Amino acid sequence: MINLLRMDFYRFTRNKIMYLLLLLFCAFQIFGIYMMKQYAQPVEEGGVQIGNLTEIDFIQYTISQPPSWMLIYIAVFTIYFYMSEWNSGFHKNYISMRQARIHSVFSKMAILALFVAMLFLTMLIADGIGRRMFFDQTDMGDPGTLIILLASQFLLHWAFSLLVLCIAMMTKNLLISLSAGFVLALNVIGMVLGALENQFTGTHLTQYLLINTLVRVKDLGNMADLIHTFGVAVAAILILSYLAVRYKIREDLN
Amino acid sequence: MTDCIIELCGVTKMYRSKAAVRNANLKIYRGEIVGIIGKNGAGKSTLLKMISGHVYPTSGELHFFNRAAAGEQSFFERMGVLIEQPGLYPNISAYENLKLLAIAYGLSDRETTIEKLLRLVGLDPKNTAKVKSYSMGMKQRLGIAVALLGSPDVLILDEPINGLDPQGIVEIRELILELNATGLTILISSHILEELSKIATKYAIIHQGEFAEVISKEELQQRCEERIEISVEEAREALPVLERELKITQYKVVDSRTVYVYDEHIRIRQIVQELAQHGIMVDSISRHKQSLEQYFLERTESAGERHD
Repeated sequence: MINLLRMDFYRFTRNKIMYLLLLLFCAFQIFGIYMMKQYAQPVEEGGVQIGNLTEIDFIQYTISQPPSWMLIYIAVFTIYFYMSEWNSGFHKNYISMRQARIHSVFSKMAILALFVAMLFLTMLIADGIGRRMFFDQTDMGDPGTLIILLASQFLLHWAFSLLVLCIAMMTKNLLISLSAGFVLALNVIGMVLGALENQFTGTHLTQYLLINTLVRVKDLGNMADLIHTFGVAVAAILILSYLAVRYKIREDLN
Repeated sequence: MTDCIIELCGVTKMYRSKAAVRNANLKIYRGEIVGIIGKNGAGKSTLLKMISGHVYPTSGELHFFNRAAAGEQSFFERMGVLIEQPGLYPNISAYENLKLLAIAYGLSDRETTIEKLLRLVGLDPKNTAKVKSYSMGMKQRLGIAVALLGSPDVLILDEPINGLDPQGIVEIRELILELNATGLTILISSHILEELSKIATKYAIIHQGEFAEVISKEELQQRCEERIEISVEEAREALPVLERELKITQYKVVDSRTVYVYDEHIRIRQIVQELAQHGIMVDSISRHKQSLEQYFLERTESAGERHD
């Protein structure tokens, strides 16, 4: 496990796509903040100007605006990282090793977690720069609440990367995986299911879907909301990692 | 060569309703070089992939080192594998590809091992060119180096001389023989029968997913050798005539009635004449000559397709 993780980490640190994605994300995040400044709408009474939001509220605001750019970057990286190995056939060189099928999935999961963490770090840096430059705002909000928000969003975004990993593993097709990744990032499925649910059943089960939970503005002071958020994230991670490992164990490497 | 290290017992691989390999039975002994021969789509690669642990058999059993492989993943890590295309990252160098794999294997002395392996297969360890710029032959060599990195007991090579120039073919052949001399067991599939016949100690002919024949090098040579087959009433009566009158020195008595003559200078008419003069009736006499290619094509039911 450790050796495969070392191998994937070595590849992770030496691939240019990862750095390019982080750079692009950082640039567009700052550009996005600039555009917010340019097209800032006058707020109604009682409302808060974007420029006056704390970092906590700013993150909640940007993540809830479709399409979620973070999800798109995560989808692209996940598919790139998995499919580059798959298409080159490099996995065939080590897959005969003991437990390699299981360990390779866990290793990919760990690398994806690392990428998601780096993406969040980049977001914090870009937000800091952008908000300082264009709104002269540096208020982060309550540190405890910020940590809870980042932890919950990290888990939800990591779960999303595992969902895309499963799709890439099962379809083995770059184009299909990317299309599925974009559709999921736009939350098309969540919105359609939500609309159908409202129309026909009146239940609220779709709020527990991974991406619906991810883009929902959370009440971080509310325990029920926290349980909902963390519950969905942890359940998704467990289910998706189980599916990925099970699939990999049974997979014929043609 | 008495140590059976791989045994296939009724192994079948189905893809939907189509059998890629059907009821394969084969024993491979330590130190052998087994040539897997078959047309495109005959099931060679699927067979090698099952032995490598890349695909799972639908039914039947694989035994490694006299133990069932099912649930024992550790056996598969004793195989060095090069199946179809070498699995290499195109945008990094040969050294970097091997380094990645060396990390996965947990090798401590990575640098020395990689340099040694690259030199063994005739590649320059200092070459920093990306693998995508390599010729087919260089990629094949690198693929062999990758397969050898984990110090395997068995080397599985699927069409390793594809795309190689004549010089490259000779070098890879010498390398395979060199590796075999160190005790490595080798499974190799190839379309180039002439090349395979120079290295294999056993042949498994596969046709439409089934083994048409498994034959040793000696048996094959015997079947393909050029000879005159003579059938008489009593072989021992014919021998003095063949030796004394026709000066035949290279012959073999197959049974009490059959003698094989290998002397190339002799003609059938001479033999019939001489034996008849000594009152020995020849029941049948024929010249036997079959090329390796003909032999394999007959077994894969393709001989009739040839018109040249």
